[in-house]
Amino acid sequence: MRWLLIGTASLFLVLFLFLPLAVVFGTAFSQGIGMFFGTFADAGTQSAIWLTLVAAAVAVPLNTVFGLAAAWCIGKFEFVGKSTLITLIDLPFSVSPVVAGLAYVLLFGAQGYFGPWLQAHNIHIVFAVPGIVLATVFVTFPFVARELLPMMQAQGNDEEEAALTLGANGWQTFLKVTLPNVKWALVYGIILCNARAMGEFGAVQVVSGRIEGLTNTMPLQIEMLYSDYRFVAAYTVATLLAMLALVTLVVKSIVEWRSGETA
Amino acid sequence: MSITASGITKSFGGFTALDNVDLDVQAGQLVALLGPSGSGKTTLLRIIAGLEFADSGSIHFDGRDISRQTAGERRVGFVFQHYALFRHMTVFENIAFGLRVRPRKTRLPDAQIRKRVGDLLDLIQLSTQAGRYPSQLSGGQRQRVALARALAVEPSVLLLDEPFGALDAKVRQELRRWLRQLHDEVHITSLFVTHDQEEALEVSDRVAVMNAGKIVQIGTPDEVYNHPATSFVYNFLGNVNLFNGRVDGGTTYIHHAKTDHVVFVRPHLLDIAREPAGENSFGATIKHINAAGPLVKVDAVTEWGDPVNVETTQERFRELALIKGDRIHIVPRDVAVFQEGRSS
Repeated sequence: MRWLLIGTASLFLVLFLFLPLAVVFGTAFSQGIGMFFGTFADAGTQSAIWLTLVAAAVAVPLNTVFGLAAAWCIGKFEFVGKSTLITLIDLPFSVSPVVAGLAYVLLFGAQGYFGPWLQAHNIHIVFAVPGIVLATVFVTFPFVARELLPMMQAQGNDEEEAALTLGANGWQTFLKVTLPNVKWALVYGIILCNARAMGEFGAVQVVSGRIEGLTNTMPLQIEMLYSDYRFVAAYTVATLLAMLALVTLVVKSIVEWRSGETA
Repeated sequence: MSITASGITKSFGGFTALDNVDLDVQAGQLVALLGPSGSGKTTLLRIIAGLEFADSGSIHFDGRDISRQTAGERRVGFVFQHYALFRHMTVFENIAFGLRVRPRKTRLPDAQIRKRVGDLLDLIQLSTQAGRYPSQLSGGQRQRVALARALAVEPSVLLLDEPFGALDAKVRQELRRWLRQLHDEVHITSLFVTHDQEEALEVSDRVAVMNAGKIVQIGTPDEVYNHPATSFVYNFLGNVNLFNGRVDGGTTYIHHAKTDHVVFVRPHLLDIAREPAGENSFGATIKHINAAGPLVKVDAVTEWGDPVNVETTQERFRELALIKGDRIHIVPRDVAVFQEGRSS
């Protein structure tokens, strides 16, 4: 019975996870290593990679700060509207990314509520980089907060109160007591947030307008290359995202191992 | 440093945790706040510490009003029930924390911090464990580290919230003797919260008994135990039998019918006899005998059907050769009657 279950699980993993991954790498290298690196010489691909990095570079730090602040006040304090705040944090999980993207178009697009005003002031959000960054921030909003919250709630306030009675100020208490106690959860939250920020497709696709070389992110570029029957190029860019996934898994294992060690 | 709390009132939502409480702790004393859970004792302690703020009333340390000061400014040493040690720091770093977070101009040089922590580790007899993490220590060791951490900053008063509540019975007893000893050496004004009457009576100079957000009696352990002010105090400070009774010319009689008075008798103040002895004795049947311990505990049922607990000496027990099912007579030696009647 035990072997049957393990066998089923392994077969499932091979079929649905390892096989596709192998296909991605196999196809990318199918025309030789020269073709693989040649893809990265393409200006459109370079721009897509760059834009993805920019979006992640804005979204991840922003959501890290927000996630820490939100988890801290929800985990350590009692206030009116707490459960509403928790629901709001979960909103991006429950809303389809496409809907989120459409909402931005509705707000900031040419026909949207703020459209005329934005046009009058020559500010471009939708079909431009700011829109992509906004959509990425929205979609990756819950990751850090969601990782930290259960931990902060479980740890309670005792250690912080002890620090206060020992004469530490609020900032010292946060840096020396609260933060070290959640550091591995924080690292993991950031990793997840980053992975999603770089891999996001739906919301970004709606607000991007898909102008190659300007508003294409990596996932959008991959999809475009694929639609153009440039399979090798598409799979080559896809290897980058696949590598990101593997790095995430490795970091996750390290984090779990380290936090298990100190707990 | 003396502690004076005056007119402290605190409510959470609709629940009044403290109702106009006054408390005086003289400098150098060790005082217990004793009461059942929900009586407001921990809330009072936290308000004195500055971890909670009263709705009204004031706190004075040595006559100085510190009601508006934060916990850090009050310089209190606080020991938590569940230790609240910093889990990512070693024992050494835990104890040094209060010294290390001081502003640069008042902070001791590192060598002096090390010396002071070393002395405290000696005091709590954990010098060999300095490099360990809290999770590697036993409960008793953790609580000693928590105490050393609180003492490191040379607090003006020491406040302990159920300090031994999470420990097993044997360690609890060791630690409370040790706390008493430590207090006799250091002489720091200390206030500790407990729901264990034995602990309060054994360790403290004075006991403040709390119930439903009020202090019902404060006095030496001898005073509160032998001269309880109310039926609640009598009831809370030890095992007790309740009887209906009748007071007649200064003498109290136990009565099997319903009366206006409730008579309280501690189990060790009841004697067992084979024959009726005097007007107040009554018949009973033994249901259970527990002879393990310094006193023999006898559970019996009175002739009118109420349970009654009696404690007698091992000698008397052997002399009477009591066995389960025996018909006996119970003779009260001393009883207590309170005007307000049954307390709970």
